[in-house]
Amino acid sequence: MKLTIAHWTINQKLALVVGVLGFLAVVAGNPYHGAETTLNAKELSLVVEKEVDHVSPEELAGWIILGKSDYRLVDLRSEKEYAEYHIPSAENLTLTSLNDGTLQRNEKIILYSDGGIHSAQAWFLLKAKQYKGVYILRGGLEEWKDRILFPQLPENSSPAEIAAFERSKFVSKFFGGAPQIGGAAGTATPKLSLPKLEPPASPGQAKTAAPKKKKEGC
Amino acid sequence: MDMNAPFFKFGFFGDEVSLIVAFVIGIGFGFFLERAGFGSARKLCAQFYFTDLAVFKVMFTAIITAMVGIFWLSWIGFVDLSLVYVSPTFILPQTVGGLILGVGFVVGGYCPGTSCVAAATGKMDAFVYLGGIIAGIFAFGELFPFLSAFYDSTPMGQLTIPQYFNLSYGLVVFLVVLMAIGGFAGGSWLEKKMAVRATEK
Repeated sequence: MKLTIAHWTINQKLALVVGVLGFLAVVAGNPYHGAETTLNAKELSLVVEKEVDHVSPEELAGWIILGKSDYRLVDLRSEKEYAEYHIPSAENLTLTSLNDGTLQRNEKIILYSDGGIHSAQAWFLLKAKQYKGVYILRGGLEEWKDRILFPQLPENSSPAEIAAFERSKFVSKFFGGAPQIGGAAGTATPKLSLPKLEPPASPGQAKTAAPKKKKEGC
Repeated sequence: MDMNAPFFKFGFFGDEVSLIVAFVIGIGFGFFLERAGFGSARKLCAQFYFTDLAVFKVMFTAIITAMVGIFWLSWIGFVDLSLVYVSPTFILPQTVGGLILGVGFVVGGYCPGTSCVAAATGKMDAFVYLGGIIAGIFAFGELFPFLSAFYDSTPMGQLTIPQYFNLSYGLVVFLVVLMAIGGFAGGSWLEKKMAVRATEK
């Protein structure tokens, strides 16, 4: 066999090389690396309409307190904003790095940004790439601050509201926030300082470190 | 940031440098066309009589080399294929345009690129051919208002064979490679056959 190949002309050898490369191409997969996608518009619009793609701040807070780890919390803001404050256990990914393959299609992914726009856009991108369990934190970090970190008890509130506030006080303390009593939202808000990243949520802290390492690995 | 192609789209150089790059690539293309003997109208026309299929072989070799190269470079992540421009398909005007070019090739003995190569080596017929190209471009430009409806007809968008036939990219690569190798073997066989017939006459 070796002898026969040695007798081949250069054209035949080149043809062999290109033939092998061409044959391997059949099993090599799509050279576009999934940069193009197709959408199931009907499914997506239904999901959006029924709002099954939302996670409320209370739900998320509950999961973090319980130490659940069957989901990945993704902070879509800039690195600087992430360094200033992020929800415990969140990892920092930008919109463009969502394509890098750090997220797996079978994972439960919860996205948040300041408001809802970036997370909604990222949600759409991931959905388009056939990620199954993608959710948006309702209202983003702003609503997280309003409802979890700095919950307010309005004046003249009903007993039911007071009971709810008592519950949210514990949640707020857990995340290092400051519950507000009295409805003076306008004056109180500027004084509120975001919790330092170290003290709150000790169960969450270990989780914060782990995904970051993963990111550096890539 | 790692170096990825296409360099222009990723902003590694601007418009001016891209013109220089285009010039260098163009000169290189012309040089290799000339070295392959494509500055001669006799050689180019011989393929239409099946006595010398060098043009077919060289062009098809270029196609599959580029195809296999781009496929594997993008597979290893060096080229971002989604940023590579694909010219849109207008099936009817492009078919007619291809036929006009083919007839012009047989009659004039050159295709547009090889006419430039031949002109660069000082062939008179190539200068005439180039004059024809420029006159044709001028006439087309002047008549464009009357032709534009046809020019823009049957648009199909940026279409590739794998998308249109819903095949995998790799399979199309392999089929084109098989087609090329078959074409090379068949071409050589045809050349021998025609050469024998020429000597018998």
